[in-house]
Amino acid sequence: MPVGPQEDIARAICTDKWDGERLSPSLFVGEGTSVSRLALIPLADHWDLFRRYVEQPPERRLEMIGEINVGRLQELGRNYATPIELTVEPKPEDWNPAHAEIPQRITRGLANKILPELKLHRPPPN
Amino acid sequence: MTSFIPTGHFSPYRVSDDLREDRIGPAVHVPAPGEADREQLLLTKLGPRGWGRLHHFRHYYQPGWGERHGRQLSPRALEGFFRFLAAAKFPAGKVPSIFLTDSGGLELAWEDADGKAVQVEFTSQGAEFYVAAKETEGQAPVEALAQLAAQLAV
Repeated sequence: MPVGPQEDIARAICTDKWDGERLSPSLFVGEGTSVSRLALIPLADHWDLFRRYVEQPPERRLEMIGEINVGRLQELGRNYATPIELTVEPKPEDWNPAHAEIPQRITRGLANKILPELKLHRPPPN
Repeated sequence: MTSFIPTGHFSPYRVSDDLREDRIGPAVHVPAPGEADREQLLLTKLGPRGWGRLHHFRHYYQPGWGERHGRQLSPRALEGFFRFLAAAKFPAGKVPSIFLTDSGGLELAWEDADGKAVQVEFTSQGAEFYVAAKETEGQAPVEALAQLAAQLAV
């Protein structure tokens, strides 16, 4: 059953997709974009969770976490020039029971509409 | 009496087997021909940040990077990227960003003179581009990348 529009989802943003100035649209381009449900695991706990799993190789660092509401994401899809019905499907994994995916193919143009809507979180100070 | 220093193939030094040139393994980086020119091109167009990022993408991101399914940088994507970069002209004061995509491609992102996004993703098949000012997306084969660069130039 798809994740409800009231939920918020998070996407890890690592050094390959952020150079200190710009975000890479490829964060959302394509099919099967990985996200994580903040209703199941709070944002504060995602830092350690993501770091353990996504910092491969060690030179790839978790820089930020991008957050967006599922309903807002769906609205962006519906209002795009080529409308698309986006869904977020739960896909729990061993390393992250809150893991989910956006199965639809997101075009570069639509990804460019999603990026500015992300609420960006920086790592908490140690 | 005139003395001569012995010449010929005699060498006072012997290189041990593990240091002979034909024993250099893949872990030792031997620059490819023309690589110095490419590095200069990178520094000129993308600056030290872009140069460093590409160095990381080429040498540290092995198959399975990231969330276990990242692909290694495609040599064909890299070739296309350099072909494009050689012909590209970016707006003054705008240094493009370079990113590695999960599918092993490279992505360049910058803004045009009006501050609107321009993006090109280099893949093993060629390139996909996006121009926000015109809300257009498209594809170009490897052979047309120099033309694409001219088309996207300011």
